[in-house]
Amino acid sequence: MLKMAASAGKIYCRLPKSKLALFANLNIFRKDGIALRYVANERQMHSSASYLATIKLDMPSLSPTMEKGNIIKWYKKEGDTVSPGDVLCKIETDKAMMDMETEETGILAKIIVPADSKDVPIGSLIALLVEEGDDWKNVQIPAEAAAKPPSKPATETPTPVVTTAAVPASPPSAALSSDHGDHRHLVGPSVKKLLQEYNISSNDVPATGPAGALLKGDVLNYINSKKLSKSVTPPAASTPSTPAPKVEPAAAPGANYIDIPLTSMRRTIAKRLTESKSTIPHAYASIDSNMGALTELRKTLAADGVKISVNDFIVKAAALALQRSPKVNAIWANDGPKLSQSVDISVAVATPNGLITPIVKGASYLSVEQISSTVKELSGRAKEGKLLPHEYQGGSFSISNLGMFGITEFSAVINPPQLAILAIGTSRTEASMKGNQLKMTVTLSYDSRGLNEVEATRFLEEFRNALENPQFMLGGTNLDSAAEAFAF
Amino acid sequence: MQFFRTFRPLGNNTVPLKALQGCSYSTATEAVHNVTPYKLHRLEEGPKTTVTYGRDEALKYYRQMRTIRVLETTAANLYKSKIIRGFCHLYSGQEAVAVGMEGAITHEDSVITAYRAHGWTYTRGADVRSVLAELTGRKTGCANGKGGSMHMYAKNFYGGNGIVGAQVPLGAGIAFAHKYKNEEKVCIALYGDGAANQGQIFEAYNIAKLWNLPCIFVCENNGYGMGTSMARSSASVDYYSRGDYIPGIWVDGMDVLAVREATRFAKDYALKNGPIVIEAFTYRYHGHSMSDPGTSYRTREEVQEVRQKRDPIGKFKDVIVQAGVVSEAEIKKIEEEIKKEVADAAELAKNDPELPPEELYTHVYMDPPPNFKIRGCDDSILAATR
Repeated sequence: MLKMAASAGKIYCRLPKSKLALFANLNIFRKDGIALRYVANERQMHSSASYLATIKLDMPSLSPTMEKGNIIKWYKKEGDTVSPGDVLCKIETDKAMMDMETEETGILAKIIVPADSKDVPIGSLIALLVEEGDDWKNVQIPAEAAAKPPSKPATETPTPVVTTAAVPASPPSAALSSDHGDHRHLVGPSVKKLLQEYNISSNDVPATGPAGALLKGDVLNYINSKKLSKSVTPPAASTPSTPAPKVEPAAAPGANYIDIPLTSMRRTIAKRLTESKSTIPHAYASIDSNMGALTELRKTLAADGVKISVNDFIVKAAALALQRSPKVNAIWANDGPKLSQSVDISVAVATPNGLITPIVKGASYLSVEQISSTVKELSGRAKEGKLLPHEYQGGSFSISNLGMFGITEFSAVINPPQLAILAIGTSRTEASMKGNQLKMTVTLSYDSRGLNEVEATRFLEEFRNALENPQFMLGGTNLDSAAEAFAF
Repeated sequence: MQFFRTFRPLGNNTVPLKALQGCSYSTATEAVHNVTPYKLHRLEEGPKTTVTYGRDEALKYYRQMRTIRVLETTAANLYKSKIIRGFCHLYSGQEAVAVGMEGAITHEDSVITAYRAHGWTYTRGADVRSVLAELTGRKTGCANGKGGSMHMYAKNFYGGNGIVGAQVPLGAGIAFAHKYKNEEKVCIALYGDGAANQGQIFEAYNIAKLWNLPCIFVCENNGYGMGTSMARSSASVDYYSRGDYIPGIWVDGMDVLAVREATRFAKDYALKNGPIVIEAFTYRYHGHSMSDPGTSYRTREEVQEVRQKRDPIGKFKDVIVQAGVVSEAEIKKIEEEIKKEVADAAELAKNDPELPPEELYTHVYMDPPPNFKIRGCDDSILAATR
């Protein structure tokens, strides 16, 4: 710290006293830790008598999330006096129009970024102030501002941080102790490239540019005088201007992922589900059913040698409920819901290739036994991939049952153009005043364009009534499914 | 060098005792200043309205106020360059309150304030670099970079408190400690016109008066509680009288000498009689915090008018220059020194190292046993503390 103060003093003492503080003020805007003391460069002081002390105004961050902003309008013009609290310009941030105020006193000497400038990154120089009484017309524009256009990409700004601020242990001596360290930031892209290519430190090259800027000519002279040749080390990734030697993709490091080739079935599923989730306003409703009666009934049937799964009853219950609340048994086509003539229930079946939904057609007219055998037959062929298109395309309603896997409850994605899908959870034992009860939660996902809450609720009530009174589901016609479909 | 002494107040506010016209060096060593009359509540007699001050004091107060102003401007700029993040409440406009009060108390007296703490941290003895480094979150900050804008501390300065109004009962507690230990010290507990309407303020008033604690309750009335003007938030805007049974003084908070005189009176009163309320009528130039542009509930013209007519620094400069105590050239020199000092401090504050992550687990317990470990936010973390 002492060392820094001493060296800073050395620089300052060459300046007229009245300018002293202003110089010191210059670097407070820099985020990269490089002192902007180039104005205090000794050679500059001696050669340029008309030099003016400037206060640099940077693009401010006027909202916490602002990265760049648009300058809409300057309220002050060059030559205007500025005092604390004055509004200089109107800036559009990512959120709002804001006025930029200043706390400085002086004359607005130079507007570097004019009105109607878009995407000015924060921290870039937008204007220069000089002290009152100074000849503002002769203000010197820093090479930094002249070299970089105002619409430079924001990514350029943080690069110096990496190179210079990485030495926090001894910042004062590293950043400020030497005079020749001051113009290091004043290198243009071409100079930077040369320095990198020839592996030269900018400190070694005598700079002759305005305000101590290092010019390309300086570097070329230096290279010629020292007879240097290009360094072997390839330029770092920071030279995007040379796209030719592009590294091969195979050699790309960090391959932490394994690509799985997409089957067309998976691709279709992805497309349809994305379409569903992004275009259908999904709404959800859940209901609990008491499974006690159904369990008893299944026990009785099992004793008679009839094996019917819970899923078969669920399909039947859904079919009955659809019959009683027909608005749910519909598809969305041509911008409106269309009631389906028959109750065709798509039953989701997991196959090695993904989910497929074979259809139990005319389910409301089938007996539970018929449903059972149909589902068994269809899912068997589904797993072998032997379903015919008409056996899984269409359908007016879907059921997805994860109960056998122990899932308590879940929400399914609607299978367009259908209006609703029922997600079935597992049966679980719940303590109640009447002793232990077997409960099952189902969740209806429905298209709220075609169905409202009342209709969805109505359907769920019917579904629960059917499940809780399973004896009524044992009825059915004696027709086979084909005849049933024909009869409809 | 001879000078003659007079305490006879004249018509104008400032009476030069010794001013050499046309000379760039000031030689007057003392001057008299008439302050805006105080308003008193339950007091027969108030502080003196004619204030004497010396050249050294004038220089000191000017330097302190100016430093706070430049410090806050620098903080605003660093914030707008995203070097300071998070909360940041600036003191610009209110400098005369901290500097004036500090002029009447000693560093043995205690101070506690709210989140607008940068100026007070500086006057309490923390240097500019440690305040800026605290804002930039560096090791060299006055709270090791762990506190930031709202949680700065110094000797006998109890923060920097983020919870609006909560510092006032704490201040009464500090005053209680002074009384309990039979110390001849007071505690200054500061709050804003916004917090003045909180219930806990009145609870603190009550216990302080009940036990006659040496506490000076200071309402820094800058006119706006966040974005609400005092007239829209307070049934009574006479904050100096709202202690009811506690006497109060209204003072022009833009006049550093008036604030000093009122504080001197209040300290004397508090040590003898118990609590007293001071309302320092002041103004804030910036928004409530950095996320408030500060112009949606007041006009820009209003702010500019205060800056021109009531600015505590500009006005004080006029007073001392007219009195011949300090010359324009000296002022200029001080301003340049301050600009350089703050800019250098800012440079250091930007480059000082940050605390390592292990420091997250330190300063949690007072004097923990050796090898004591504490849990992090997740059970797998068991870190050493000290």
